[in-house]
Order: sequence, then structure tokens, then C-alpha cells
Amino acid sequence: MSQLNDLIDVERPLPVERSFSKPFWNATREKRLLLQYDRVAGAYQFYPRPTSIHTGKASNLEWREVSGRGTIFSYTIARRARPPFREHEPFWLALVTLEEGVNIMANVVGCTEEQMVIGLPVRPHWAPLSDGRHLLLFEPVA
Amino acid sequence: MALHDSAIIAYGETKIVPVSDRDVWALGADILEQLLGRSGFEKGEIDGLILSASMTGASNPFWSQTTADYLGLELDFCQTVDIGGSSPLGAVARAAAAIDAGLASTILCLYADTAVAETNARGRAYNQEWTAPIGYIGPPAAFGLLARYYEAHYGLDYRALAKLAVTQRAHALLNDLACEKLRKPMTVDDYLQSRMINDPIRLLDSVMPCDGASGLLVTSRKNAEKRGLTKCVVPIGYGERTNLGASESVADPTVTGHGAAGEKCFAQAGLKPADIAAFHPYDDFIIAIMMQLEMLGFCAHGQGSAFIRETGFGFDEDLPLNTGGGQISAGQAGLAGGGTNLIEAVRQLFGEAGARQVKNRDNALVTGIGGIPYGRNWSTSTAMILTLNA
Repeated sequence: MSQLNDLIDVERPLPVERSFSKPFWNATREKRLLLQYDRVAGAYQFYPRPTSIHTGKASNLEWREVSGRGTIFSYTIARRARPPFREHEPFWLALVTLEEGVNIMANVVGCTEEQMVIGLPVRPHWAPLSDGRHLLLFEPVA
Repeated sequence: MALHDSAIIAYGETKIVPVSDRDVWALGADILEQLLGRSGFEKGEIDGLILSASMTGASNPFWSQTTADYLGLELDFCQTVDIGGSSPLGAVARAAAAIDAGLASTILCLYADTAVAETNARGRAYNQEWTAPIGYIGPPAAFGLLARYYEAHYGLDYRALAKLAVTQRAHALLNDLACEKLRKPMTVDDYLQSRMINDPIRLLDSVMPCDGASGLLVTSRKNAEKRGLTKCVVPIGYGERTNLGASESVADPTVTGHGAAGEKCFAQAGLKPADIAAFHPYDDFIIAIMMQLEMLGFCAHGQGSAFIRETGFGFDEDLPLNTGGGQISAGQAGLAGGGTNLIEAVRQLFGEAGARQVKNRDNALVTGIGGIPYGRNWSTSTAMILTLNA
């Protein structure tokens, strides 16, 4: 079984926050996943935007908590990276399609090369950041 | 916009180098002198300047004004195009529009970047929030995700991709301006065995960051004729699409803006893919060439590998492809790199490509790709068809 690096020891760069993405990041302190939802279009969006990508009206947006369950949309093995990830290759980068119909880019942990396949069911794995927030990663469900 | 009322009357290009010891403005001056020499125009006749985006200039919000001042240009129209690698081709379309609108009569389209020697870009984008924390390195990772998706849904023949890489490399061997480091013969096995960077993207799928400059002088066709410049290149079709599927949260990365851009471009030119005499697509990764063949209608979506196996892409074959080597085998001159294949198309139409001259000079299709968005393929797709003024 070929295991890739789960990047546990990497001091990750802290994500900047925008005024409109603060609710997302605040929720990660409690390992809760919030997505923006356009209640008129009836559709979610990711990453957080200053307005609805569906209707162009920020006033149509609300935050909704979701489970974070999804499937692998596509994946690649990062064999070259910049600091602080350098020397920690290879690791997974994947696009995950959530049940709510949005794609999220993330590392996948606890997943062997043999296991990885498009369509693989995954669930959230929250990696602690140095400031109390958490970073959304994914791990195989089974 | 009467695109075909404008004319490219001269082209200029520097050697592409791994790292420039000449300042980005010195490269710009080099291009200016080449263009004046080839066109017979005086500096004072240039009344418009359109720059492509530049990593070196990225910290200066007054980039086009400053560059114009360094080059001693007094202008009626001045701007920088910031659609990434699509900027050089986009600049030609904007020059034609500006000339048509009477904003300027003779425009210097200048593409200069010394991104390796001096990068000043500090992108305010999604990266610092959503991709830096996961160790995403940008384009190679984006294309790794894209290529894996393509492979899973349509199948991917890596020997077909190798054929494109090998063809372009053979062309670079014939191009004195291509980066010397890349002017070494390459085989299909070299490609297949090159190391993985972001599976299934290999080293030889990827461009090498370099420094360099190129440029065009664009005026009205009427003005060109008045000056006796009967040999000039005319754009007859153009299409541009940014943020295809901007309201979709799950985008199919194998579908690109070249579908829409190509359709508009071909309709304007009154041509179809089978009429294209030479193809000079933007190449940041080999698979992007295949995807453009599909989206522009040379073959069906998902059938790129088969089309490549059946088609000869050498300068003396069915559909000459990036006859200067493309960026992948000539080197990517930063954000000016979109000028490399464009200038080669113009050079070919002028009939000045020497040992790699194509036979059919009826037209050339040039494309641009610019910007890597979050979890998709690319931000801007452009396509332009050029013909020799007859």
C-alpha cells in the first residue's frame, strides 16, 4: 500500500479572510462547514463570494451548514511543492464535489494510491491551523 | 467592429532566454526599433500603445504610461491588457477596435516580460485564501486535476500527446530565437519517461518560465496601403470568452471558452476548421493543445487523441502546429509568452520563416489562454484568424 504524506507536521500558511468570507472561517473554529446559498436560485456556491454567482444579488445569499460529505471529482499527486510543503511531497490535491453541488479543492488524507479513484466517497477532515481556525481537508469514508 | 480594416505591418521578437540580463524596458526598446525598421515608420507616427500584462511591471499600476515615457512615446491611446497569456492576442483585437473607433491610427502592441529576472506580482486572488494553505502550486496542479478528469471520462493517449511535444520540439530546433536550453532533440520516449510533476502532468508537458519580448505594429489597412505596405497581415475573425460557466459551482474542466470564442471567430472570418492552413495555439501544457483542437471544432469533444494520431503537425504536413516550437519548446516569456506563437503566425504569413516556412499561407489560427481560476481550466480563451493581405 503506498501511502502519501498527510502533511500533519506542516505549518500551513494562514488563509487570508475577506470581509464576506468571515462567517465561513469563524465556523471552522467549531469544525462546522458553512456554504453560501442563494435562496432565490436555490443553489449553493463555493468559494465564498461577495455576491451570488447565480443571480448577482448579495441580498439573496444566506449561510447554510452542510455535512461536507462528497465524492472525488478529480485528483492529482503533488510531487513538487514550494515551502512549507517542500520535502513533504508527495501529497494529494483533489477536487471534491459535495452533495450540495459545489466543488472544493483540498488535500486528501489517509488515502492510499490504490484507494484513490474518481467517485470515491469522502468526508471532512479538519486540520487545525495555528490561530484556532481549521482547514477543510477530506478523508475516505470507508 | 471592422476587424479586417486593420493591418499588422511589422513584427518583432527577441531571443527567449532563461533569465534576461537586459531590463524589461531595454527589451521593449529592442522591439520598437525592430518594428520601426521593418515598417519604415517614424517613432512619432505611433499614437497608440497596448501592452500585455507583465510580471515585472505588475507592481506598477501606471505600467503603460511609464513604459511609454521610457520609450519616448507621445500617445492618444495607452493601456495594458490584463487577461494573462491571452493579453498579446487580445491586444491586437483591442488595437483594431481602437483604430476603428478613431482613438489612434498606429498602435504599438508590445509584449515584454522578464518574469524570471524580476517578478513583482503579488496576486490578490483566491490563492491566499483557498489554495496556498493546501500546497497548490498553481498551473501544473490545475492541469494535473484537469488531465486526470479528462483521462477518466474520455481516455487519454499519452503517445498522442507525446507526438505534439515531439513535433513542437522539432520546430524549435529550426527557430534561432527559441531558448537554447530547449533546442535539443526529443523523442516520444523522452516525453513518456519525463518525471511526473502533478500526475499525470509530466515535466515535458510543461512550459519553462523564461524572459523575452515581442511586438506588432498595427495600423489601418487604408494607411498601410497608402504607405505602400502591400505585404501586411489582416485579422479577419476574433473571439474571446472569460469565465466560461461563471455561475456554475461544478464546472467540467474539459469544456473551455474556446468553444464560444472559436465559433465567433470562425463566423466572422467566414471559415471553418477544415479551411485553416496553420494552427498556432497557446501552449502552456501539451493537453491544452488537444483540448483546443476539440473546442475549436477540428474534432469532436473527447476525440482529441484520435485526431492527433491521424494528423501530421509538422510545418510541412497537414496542419502545421506552432512552427516556432510553441512556448513549450521555445520557452515561456512570462505573461508576454502569448506573443510567441502570434508572432510566429505573422512571420509565416509574411513568408519569412526560413527553413520552417509553411507552404499554405492562406491563413493562420492563433489562440490565447489566460489565467488559472479556482478548480476549473482557464479564465480567458481567445481565438483569432489572420490572413495575408492580398
